[in-house]
Amino acid sequence: MSAHVKATDFEITGFAGEPHDPPGFIRTYIFSTDHKMIAKQFLLMSLVFLLLGGTLALVIRWQLGFPGSPLPGGGVLPETMAPGGIILPEFYNSLVTMHGTFMIFFAIMPLLVGVFGNLLIPLQIGAPDMAFPKLNALSFWLAVPAGFIMLASFAVEGGAAGAGWTSYAPLSASGEYTGVYLGQQLWLVSLFILGFSSITGAVNYITTVITMRAPGMTWFRLPLTVWALFVTALLALLAMPILAGALILLLADQTIGTTFFLPATGGEPLLWQHLFWFFGHPEVYILILPSFGIVSEVLSNGARKPIFGYHAMVLAIIAIAFLGWIVWGHHMFMSGMNPMLGTTFMLTTVVIAVPSAIKVFNWLGTLWRANIHFHVPFLHSVAFVSLFIIGGLSGIFMASAPVDIQIHDTYFIVAHLHYVLFGGSLFGIFAGIIYWYPKMFGRMMNRTMGYIHFAGTFVFYNLAFFPMHNLGLQGMMRRLYDPNQYEYLAPLQGMNTFISYSVFALFAFQLLFAVNFLSSLRFGKKAEKNPWNANSLEWSVASPPPHGNFHGWPTVYRGPFEYSVPGRDQDFHPQWEPPDGEVAPRMAGSPAPEPTGFSTGAHEEEES
Amino acid sequence: MTHDAKAHPPYMLIWGILAILMFAKVAVSLVGLPKWLSVTLLVIISLVSALLVALYYMHLKFEQKRVWVLAAIPLPLIAIFLLLVMQEFR
Amino acid sequence: MSHVASMAVEEPARDRGFEMYNAKLGMWVFLLSEVMFFTSLIGAYIILRFAHPDQFAGPGEVLNVPLTAMNTFLLICSSVTMVKAFAALQHDDQKGLKLWLLATIVMGASFVGVQVYEYIHLSHIGFVPNAEAYSAAGGAIYGSTFYLMTGFHGLHVTIGVLCLIWILWKANRGAFHSKRVAGVEAMGLYWHFVDLVWIVLFTIVYLI
Repeated sequence: MSAHVKATDFEITGFAGEPHDPPGFIRTYIFSTDHKMIAKQFLLMSLVFLLLGGTLALVIRWQLGFPGSPLPGGGVLPETMAPGGIILPEFYNSLVTMHGTFMIFFAIMPLLVGVFGNLLIPLQIGAPDMAFPKLNALSFWLAVPAGFIMLASFAVEGGAAGAGWTSYAPLSASGEYTGVYLGQQLWLVSLFILGFSSITGAVNYITTVITMRAPGMTWFRLPLTVWALFVTALLALLAMPILAGALILLLADQTIGTTFFLPATGGEPLLWQHLFWFFGHPEVYILILPSFGIVSEVLSNGARKPIFGYHAMVLAIIAIAFLGWIVWGHHMFMSGMNPMLGTTFMLTTVVIAVPSAIKVFNWLGTLWRANIHFHVPFLHSVAFVSLFIIGGLSGIFMASAPVDIQIHDTYFIVAHLHYVLFGGSLFGIFAGIIYWYPKMFGRMMNRTMGYIHFAGTFVFYNLAFFPMHNLGLQGMMRRLYDPNQYEYLAPLQGMNTFISYSVFALFAFQLLFAVNFLSSLRFGKKAEKNPWNANSLEWSVASPPPHGNFHGWPTVYRGPFEYSVPGRDQDFHPQWEPPDGEVAPRMAGSPAPEPTGFSTGAHEEEES
Repeated sequence: MTHDAKAHPPYMLIWGILAILMFAKVAVSLVGLPKWLSVTLLVIISLVSALLVALYYMHLKFEQKRVWVLAAIPLPLIAIFLLLVMQEFR
Repeated sequence: MSHVASMAVEEPARDRGFEMYNAKLGMWVFLLSEVMFFTSLIGAYIILRFAHPDQFAGPGEVLNVPLTAMNTFLLICSSVTMVKAFAALQHDDQKGLKLWLLATIVMGASFVGVQVYEYIHLSHIGFVPNAEAYSAAGGAIYGSTFYLMTGFHGLHVTIGVLCLIWILWKANRGAFHSKRVAGVEAMGLYWHFVDLVWIVLFTIVYLI
């Protein structure tokens, strides 16, 4: 590129290490534009919502395990929710709705996209920050009010939304049906704001990955986390606006008397399901793809072997993301949809098993004959793979329309979605948090507590959710207030009680994680630069990294998975280490080479 | 800019074409053609107008092919959504 | 701005390899999501109309086509003035930039004004979002879809006008020159996109 272009280009000299005014408290901790701080803010917010969602799950399980008996400590709840601690059916509807909403939109999604997207994208591609740091801060500060509005809806008249996290119309389209007016409207407004937050985040991630990769960081040297987050951002960018549009239409039905989804005056309730699931199925992959990336990274690190089939992994991510757009109808087999469409959606859904299986076999191939280091994040990753397989297999049951007729809207679905969202996404998140905790906070999490938390979670997770398959096959409906209302479900009460006890134990182990997380902030072992002996760029800088991350642009020499390369003393070969015999070309302050961007040599020729 | 900053695309010409196309649409709509013919004509004319705006005013014509790829990403999704959901209400 | 790294990123950095600076690429990426947003709204319109053709009135029966045709013409003109503003900026013609921006703002605001007038007029004759009387078959989705489609487009125009005023204010302070065009160009992309959506919307809501 020509000289004058460079002059107006990045001001490389201004990076960390140069003296500049330290930002004040508010700019550092509240309205920060530093991607690492925003990642920590997202982490705090979403862990709080994870805890809240978990608490709602406890209340749900109390009602199912011990129907009709007063909730311990439930006396503090107002008469409209649980008089004398006995949970009302209307409140139970709100509970299941808000449990789903909190977990999906305010816990898992910000944990995966908000936390790891913000933390890892700039660090792993070698950039000083995001492309639009202020937009990044805006993205967080839109998510917070969205969360508050959602929380506040519990306190309004009529209670929180009670039409399920999918808010099917016409149930959700008019307060007459559920008795919830304002709560449902707040639900819609809150998700609209959250959608806007996701879109601003996605614009940022996509632009950053395209234009701000360090020199040498070609597309096929990107760590798989970045690939997964990039594709996820594309999905969020394209799917969230669909939800936003649908929410607006539903809100108009609720407030100004339009009739998009109300059949009595000419609307089409099925249109809501089509719009919602056209968003909703890509959303499912938003919730799992980043975990795929994290797990690939951690598995390869623990196995000390290159990830098996890097290119296949990338292509599988892209294939899953594309196929995710043409399968939404498999949520609607029982909706009265055109049966010919049902067959189409059944076929496309089964096709998704192919890229998913490619990923699973590649993970197994990575572990095959490896000299494994069983660190805590590695264990979580292995749990992810095994539980994701179970979740994926139960998915195939539901993908075939004839089988789905039997198990639609039963606890089989609940089991399936918890196997992919808890067993999948959340185990990936645990792996990610523990793995990058030293990079975020400069200290290691306690290993002993980590092992105990892992073992307890794995065991009680399976005890809680595996029996749900059985409940579903025996016909227990999801969102059911009291199984004893039906004679044929009464014999299942023992199993329900057992599940409830398992969930309580599962929750207790999550408190151990919280204790570990908080106490390690203070008492954890100080982390070195590269505690896991890993290859990607974030491990080349101090823990936690300074403002601006790198001194200028780091140079990248190889892919991120070069473990156990023959003929080297170390069993890892970092991306930033020059080939033997070469000296790193630059020190801080010297002119930096151009970042890679989308560039090819040809374009740079044209410029000069 | 890959193109010379001095040589602008024919902005005024495009403006004239867009205006003519727009009035043509109004004429087609109000003249009372058979429904299928007027709908077909209207859809074609508006797609041409939209394409002109994207190509010349949004400078898509002068961008790299990579931007075309980026801009084209939503198009198959729109087609899939409309085609499949229309099967529902056929 | 105390955050040095982010300041460096926010400089109107010339494209780096992508032949595009971040602001412009970011706007393109954002417009993709806008496309999907209007897909869900316009798609809902198309599907509802496809499912219930008898609930919609023909062109010119309820809505005032000549008035909106003039309004459409106004928006097309505002697109050409926007692109003229950008062209003026590329020649470092500060006066031209400000004048063309001002013309764009005036026309954009007039478009919104005419739309508000149209809404008031329609509500006087009883065509409101939940008006059942205005469709042959008795349903209310004609009014529902009309107001939601045009309303959200109008909201986009309004936001565009506000952003244009901000851009003009910055231009007045000399924030742009021929080597620093990011704000104007990204703004232009948004404005032309809104114009493009209206071209489609005008056709399917008023003319079909």
